[in-house]
Amino acid sequence: MASIELRHVSKHWGPTIAVDRMNLTLEDGEFVAILGPSGCGKSTTLFLLAGIYAPTEGDICFEGARINDVEPRDRNVGIVFQSYALYPNMTVLKNLLFPLRFKNTSNEDAHARAMEIAELVQIEDLLEREPSQLSGGQQQRVALARALIKKPNLLLLDEPLSNLDATLRLTMRSEIKRIQRELAVTTILVTHDQVEATTMADRIICMKDGQIEQVDTAENLYRRPDRIFVASFVGSPPINLVQGRIDKTMLVAGQRRLPVSGNTVSTNVTIGLRPELISTGEQGLPASIVNIEPMGREILYAAQSEIGLLRFLEATPQPRLALEEHVHLKADPGDVLFFDTGSGQRIEGVRLDAFS
Amino acid sequence: MALTQRDWNVLARRSRNIRHVQMGLLVGFLTIVSIPVVLPFFWVFVISFSARTGGVESAVLWRACGVLVPAVVAYVVVHLTFDSIRKRLFGAAVLILLVMIGLIVTVGKDLHLHNYRFLANANLIEDLRGAATAGGQFPWVWEAFVNSLLVAASSTLFKVSIATVCGYYLSRFAFYGRSAFLQTLLILEVFHPWMLTIPIFLVIYWIGLLNNLAGPILVLTVIDLPFFIFIMKGFFDAVPWDIEMSAMTDGASRRQAFRHVVLPQVWAGIIAISVLGFIRGWEEYVFVTALRTGNSYWVMSTYLYYVADDVMGVDYGVVAAVSVFYMAPSLLLYMFLQRNLTQLTLGGIKG
Ligand SMILES: Nc1ncnc2c1ncn2[C@@H]1O[C@H](COP(=O)(O)OP(=O)(O)O)[C@@H](O)[C@H]1O
Ligand SMILES: [Mg+2]
Repeated sequence: MASIELRHVSKHWGPTIAVDRMNLTLEDGEFVAILGPSGCGKSTTLFLLAGIYAPTEGDICFEGARINDVEPRDRNVGIVFQSYALYPNMTVLKNLLFPLRFKNTSNEDAHARAMEIAELVQIEDLLEREPSQLSGGQQQRVALARALIKKPNLLLLDEPLSNLDATLRLTMRSEIKRIQRELAVTTILVTHDQVEATTMADRIICMKDGQIEQVDTAENLYRRPDRIFVASFVGSPPINLVQGRIDKTMLVAGQRRLPVSGNTVSTNVTIGLRPELISTGEQGLPASIVNIEPMGREILYAAQSEIGLLRFLEATPQPRLALEEHVHLKADPGDVLFFDTGSGQRIEGVRLDAFS
Repeated sequence: MALTQRDWNVLARRSRNIRHVQMGLLVGFLTIVSIPVVLPFFWVFVISFSARTGGVESAVLWRACGVLVPAVVAYVVVHLTFDSIRKRLFGAAVLILLVMIGLIVTVGKDLHLHNYRFLANANLIEDLRGAATAGGQFPWVWEAFVNSLLVAASSTLFKVSIATVCGYYLSRFAFYGRSAFLQTLLILEVFHPWMLTIPIFLVIYWIGLLNNLAGPILVLTVIDLPFFIFIMKGFFDAVPWDIEMSAMTDGASRRQAFRHVVLPQVWAGIIAISVLGFIRGWEEYVFVTALRTGNSYWVMSTYLYYVADDVMGVDYGVVAAVSVFYMAPSLLLYMFLQRNLTQLTLGGIKG
């Protein structure tokens, strides 16, 4: 049914550019996440799709038809707001029935639908309560049910889990995923939490300052980030970024020169290497430990090497290395990512020959 | 050092005692400061039921106080000594009974309803003076009552509905001149409306509403509007946008979203300004007198004034009775809607 498209869509608030020339296509039944730091325009994108805001420029298309001028009430979009936005003056049941009130649904049908949806999100026992008598998780379920009851073509979730505590977040994560799969409704989840995005969505749209940085699967965002921002935003603990310069066939970083090959162009680069891909060994890059952070089942070390500060993870319950201990850092040279420092773009076709 | 059970008990008792004493002092203080406020009302009330033509019998008042004051003090004592609501209610009931008996014994034979005859008698003045005064057309009180009701209710209806709509627009829409408008609203509050009596008179004269109840209704509506708009804007500001947007994606038009979702959130504000507005209209004296040139219409305030001015020197009892009758609606309104009024903290709503 609904394949959804944004064509060159922008939204300006005076001088602020909340969404900047965004192009995007969603397939039917797809679950995508918009991931980005707060203030990057995620909510604005959702509200543009819902019709609450009108785009400053560009077209929004549902099934190929331009719908810029279609009223929100006619778009058949279900939305769960970050605050849940339950109607405080109505019981849960009335909240659920509200969207059907404006359609020609008979009373019995509406109630049957409400029961059905209440069962799906497991709020059958709460129907007579007022929103103020619900816990955060329950409010969230009600909001979800209310968004789903009209069988929307598009479901929009604005940071739905951010107000929940950690365990509840975990359950709701799989709940939302289950419900989405059951109903096969095209869904956009907005989040600033990469774990939420990677665990729930088929594809992730990584956003920064109103622009799309990369649209890809979680794995590709992690392995082959297109830009420095994506590399640094995805992955925890964050990727090591080291400034350097490519000089013919050498990478100059700090006091160290490392050989590179491929179609090298002399330029300033930033190299990225994930902490979990570094280990220690007999040989490699000499470094000394400057910080030790136990993180539960793993230890995060920071080591000062000649190319710069590098963090790496070791899966031991107790720190095996001591502060100021001298180690040799090992990594597969192929795992090292090169970015053009100026443009932030990843440089393909350049690889490190040796990491030592 | 560990405290024993006894030490804990001593500490608990001490803090309970301190709390009782503090409470007693507070109640005592509030009682004392409220005496100057309550006493005149009480006096008017007593006079209206006891005064006979010729003068005011203050003895009745003192005798009534002689019964009531000990009763109030006794209740304070009851309240402080008993913690259970049952016992307090029982104490109150006993005291009320005692007060009743005491009042009947001390002042019972002095009470009468003669001063309230104005409610039934259309020709009060002729009764008293044997001839019509106040230009010969002193009205029946019910005419003034209905007029006052009309002025208060219709001006309230206008100002509340206009303030609600304006407050909503000011809260939700960014239009050209919005902040200037808001500032103007505040500046208007600086001037007392009485300063404008003459220009208002002229305007009303030019549009031909002099000597017409529509005049004061219009003026009262306009005078309160800036403040009421401001209050309503505050209430609307406190309603989250999300709810409204949600309603709109749920299929409601903007108007439907307003009616079904936003309006129920600001009822407290609407009730509060309605009460304030109604009482303003009910009490109005300056503009109702300024905007008539003869005795074209009568409202309760002018009625009371003429009873006091024209008849007075003659009968305090009637004046007091009219006052009580005049006060009653405001008092009832306050009592029933007092809870809503306390929510009037400029947009402070809690659902
Ligand atoms: N109604 C608005 N008026 C003015 N600026 C806005 C409005 N809504 C959002 N913005 C601005 O647009 C940018 C993006 O906001 P938003 O989409 O809410 O970010 P996110 O949801 O990613 O945290 C922010 O800089 C924000 O200040
Ligand atoms: Mg947001």
